[in-house]
Amino acid sequence: MTRERPELMDLTEHLFELDVYRSRGGYDAARKALGMSPVAVLTEVRDADLKGRGGAGFPAGVKWGFIPRDGKKPVYLCVNADEGEPGAFKDRWLMTHDPHLLLEGIIITAYAVGAHDGFIYVRGEYEAAALRLDRAIDEARAAGFLGEGIFGTKFGLEVMVHRGAGAYICGEETALLESLEGKRGEPRLKPPFPASVGLFWCPTIINNVETVSNVPRILRDGAEAFRELGRPGDGGTRLFSVSGAVVKPGLYEVPVGAPMKDLIFQHAGGLPSGRTLKAVIPGGLSAPVLRADEIDLPLDGDSLFRAGSMIGSGAVIVIDDGTSMLDILGIMTRFYAHESCGQCTPCRIGTSWMHKTVVRMASGNGNMEDIDEIARVASAIKGRTLCPLGDAAALPILALVTKFRTELGSRVEEARVRSGSW
Amino acid sequence: MVKIRIDDRLLETAEGSTLLKAALAAGIDVPHFCYHPAFEPEGCCRMCLVEIDGAPKLELACSTRVQDGMNVLTSSPKVMEARKEVLEFLLAEHPLDCPICDKAGECRLQDYYERYGRFDARFREPKEKRDKIVPIGKRLLLDRERCILCTRCVRFLREVTGTGELGVFERGARTEIGPYEDRRIDNAYSGNLAEICPVGAITDTDFRFKTRAWFLERGASICPHCGRGCNIDIEFRPEPDHQDPGRKIFRVRARENAAVNGHWICDIGRYGHPYWTENRSRFVLMNKGAKTTRLSWDKVLIVLSEKIKGLGPRGKGGRLGLILNSFLSNEELYLIGRIFREAIDLGNAWFADPKPQEADRLLLTAERSPNLKGARELGFESRPPDLEEIAKRIEVLLVFGSGLREAFAVGDVQKALDRVPVKFLFAAHTAPGDDAYDFLLPAALIAEKPGSLTNTLGLVQEFQPVWRPPGEARPEWEVLGDLARELGSGEAWTDLTIVREAMAREYPFFRKGHD
Amino acid sequence: MSHGFAPVVLDEVRAVAARYPRREAALLPVLRVLQRVSGALGRAEEELAAELLGLEPIRVREAVTFYSLFRQKPAGRHIIQVCINLSCSMAGAGRSLAALQTRLGIGSGETTSDGRFTLLTVECLGNCDQAPCLMVDEDDHGRVQKEQLDEILGRYP
Repeated sequence: MTRERPELMDLTEHLFELDVYRSRGGYDAARKALGMSPVAVLTEVRDADLKGRGGAGFPAGVKWGFIPRDGKKPVYLCVNADEGEPGAFKDRWLMTHDPHLLLEGIIITAYAVGAHDGFIYVRGEYEAAALRLDRAIDEARAAGFLGEGIFGTKFGLEVMVHRGAGAYICGEETALLESLEGKRGEPRLKPPFPASVGLFWCPTIINNVETVSNVPRILRDGAEAFRELGRPGDGGTRLFSVSGAVVKPGLYEVPVGAPMKDLIFQHAGGLPSGRTLKAVIPGGLSAPVLRADEIDLPLDGDSLFRAGSMIGSGAVIVIDDGTSMLDILGIMTRFYAHESCGQCTPCRIGTSWMHKTVVRMASGNGNMEDIDEIARVASAIKGRTLCPLGDAAALPILALVTKFRTELGSRVEEARVRSGSW
Repeated sequence: MVKIRIDDRLLETAEGSTLLKAALAAGIDVPHFCYHPAFEPEGCCRMCLVEIDGAPKLELACSTRVQDGMNVLTSSPKVMEARKEVLEFLLAEHPLDCPICDKAGECRLQDYYERYGRFDARFREPKEKRDKIVPIGKRLLLDRERCILCTRCVRFLREVTGTGELGVFERGARTEIGPYEDRRIDNAYSGNLAEICPVGAITDTDFRFKTRAWFLERGASICPHCGRGCNIDIEFRPEPDHQDPGRKIFRVRARENAAVNGHWICDIGRYGHPYWTENRSRFVLMNKGAKTTRLSWDKVLIVLSEKIKGLGPRGKGGRLGLILNSFLSNEELYLIGRIFREAIDLGNAWFADPKPQEADRLLLTAERSPNLKGARELGFESRPPDLEEIAKRIEVLLVFGSGLREAFAVGDVQKALDRVPVKFLFAAHTAPGDDAYDFLLPAALIAEKPGSLTNTLGLVQEFQPVWRPPGEARPEWEVLGDLARELGSGEAWTDLTIVREAMAREYPFFRKGHD
Repeated sequence: MSHGFAPVVLDEVRAVAARYPRREAALLPVLRVLQRVSGALGRAEEELAAELLGLEPIRVREAVTFYSLFRQKPAGRHIIQVCINLSCSMAGAGRSLAALQTRLGIGSGETTSDGRFTLLTVECLGNCDQAPCLMVDEDDHGRVQKEQLDEILGRYP
């Protein structure tokens, strides 16, 4: 079977311009999809085993199936382009370089779930990406791919870009909805889930940029082709944002289940000379760290989960022996304390507590007990919070203080000596 | 109905209910801060986490709906550990204010720590420093260090009063609650905020620093300030407070009644407790010329009955006048009707009630007295007093309550009363102008006597005395019973039950079970 | 009521609000516009947004104080946001930050006395393969070395 562009990433220049995109077969998949029934489209995506690429990894087609088809309320589609996970930049690339791919994916997704309004929630800092999307939307509308009667069918769709304003928590789907409704980005209790009670209390699908960007090729090449690219139950390829101590930081596309070592040492060129690998964070800052001896595994959700971590947003951060784990701990605790929305007790107080302790340790007033205390506080946050940010803070911090306890101990001791404390 | 198990107890509960509601209804304590029965579950304090058989994580009792066959543990080791940890988080950033905090003794944080905490503090970091005396309303102060961000106050002002004066600002550990600019809470239900705050973050300046919760005794009563008949608890010190010996009542709080006032009372009722303590009439007095003498109840009742009898066949010729009010209980109004039927039939009964004002959307009724509906059900037509008519026709005037002086200028009342040969005032409060009356009889108020009132929606509510009336003040129904006897009535109204039974016989509306 | 804003500004925010199925959903983009126009979101901006979108001003302030990109106090003409999260720290963000602080004579969170630059430290900007990175106004700058700072700053008068 010949397949054009099995890759998600198309490096053609000026792909963000409509005529270039169309010359690459753009919008053909959408046209095909709109000639099928919405249920058929949904089935195809479900059969492709496309897992969410935002971090939660929930199968997209299954999520779409939760939308009621009784037509009682309008259905909304939200694309989560908040990409705040430290280390991740894949969505930025997709939106800046290939905005029409996302739009095409939105058209197909909206059609499948019965949505006529789509919102792309772009984080406030992604100026260039938002501008490219706006421009692409205008082009698409002018060409009749958005608006009323798309491809001569009865299906109509309006899409708009909605800018965030600097809050990592708005990457959590219910906080995104709150923010989209003009409020503080405070996550909601689940259940009910957005598929039943979402934007403006209507059924809503929220999908990540990369997830939706994969939809056109599923329609173009078929579910089986997509499935075969990956692993059983986890189809396709994934984009990995690789950064940190590597020679070639950047965005790399590999099949789901490709070896992590290959990604780091082949695609990203390995570590700079003179440096040794100490640790890898495999899925963004919220993914528990792996020691250098733990990275011999395939890059798929299940494998990483079994290794005590997660694939998250596929952001791989490579850490070398020159980096202090205490510094990393400080960045982690600072980040979650800053981004905690403040609604629920354990996260609001616990993230701040941990950060205050690390600051004290780094300034020379800490000891080994403090490291264990941080672990205890992280455990007290775990599983108790209103939204996943609690675990996103607790799990990586727990992994770090457990796996690098000795090094942290010496760093804290060094800080004491430096500061002159007894 | 749904069958669930909580702590090995089999419970039947309504479909759609939550685990927390089911547990509380069964008398099982599941600690919580942010949940309040008047609002939808909020889920932010995380204190109500419970263990559900088959669920991988602990779940919130406040927002988890009951499902048939659910098996819930509220005191398993996992649950107890979670409670301890949530408490530890709350206390980590909480100031050690108990010695100076009003809420001590009735604070959920204290209570839960006693029951589920009992750990040593391990937080060594500097606590967040915040404003501690933020005026947010006429009688409300916010202490941001004590606030646990349960948001009950914010939700109350958005969902109950619809006024939204408070909001949640900033993010993370910097999050704080406050008003907007110089806008302050000045709606008629502001006092409920100090009550619903589970800790001492919102304090009521009417109560602040006045006494300690554990010194207070509490009695159930009905608020007398409007026709709603809100159920209240009056909290008072039976012994004088060493700081403020003149003060007896320290607080009036809402008593929950789904059929009447829900969970709330308005500020008029809450802060209207001087009604019971200020300017009370304590002794039976006779004014003769410039001299005032004390009399006994026996003596004054003899005088009153003689004056009435002296008019000939009771009330004949229309010379006995009554000024009534709708603060009187059902039983008292009924007795008045029995004893003074002819005077009433001749149109010599008027009602001096406070002027009706605007009702609000919540509890406050237009009528500002508690028994207008009762008076109507008992056949009274509540006409306001006609001073001219009274001055012209009436020879013996019996005035109940303080309404007359509130409805007319002192001078006008004085002028009219000067033309009435004999005047008796049977009221609970003293005021300038009392010397216009020949005889002053001190009355008891609701909370000092038994009785019942009929609220604006026709609900009859009984009440019991919480404390004894001051001085020699007596309940009107008792005095009326004595008066009836003096007037030679055959019936003996020695017990309120006798009055009630007679009332129910004559007026089916007051039969028990009729609503 | 114009609250003292020019008609062209009112037109712009009204156009933004009109794009949403419910006007209150336009709060964040409206605040973005007003912050661009006024430099900061103060009471006047809150009240205009409130009136335009049918909200109480207190709800507007709740949002203003929640999001990091909104500010209540005016800043310099140009905002420098230096990422100090993981990849950028490992690539030497600390050095760029120190250099900027020295060169501008201000600490993070402060504005130069001539009102030209405000220096902020921020969390991950999503540009990690270009670490260490920073933004000046709406421009991304990646792989920033100390030596390039003068040139970069020079582009912003």
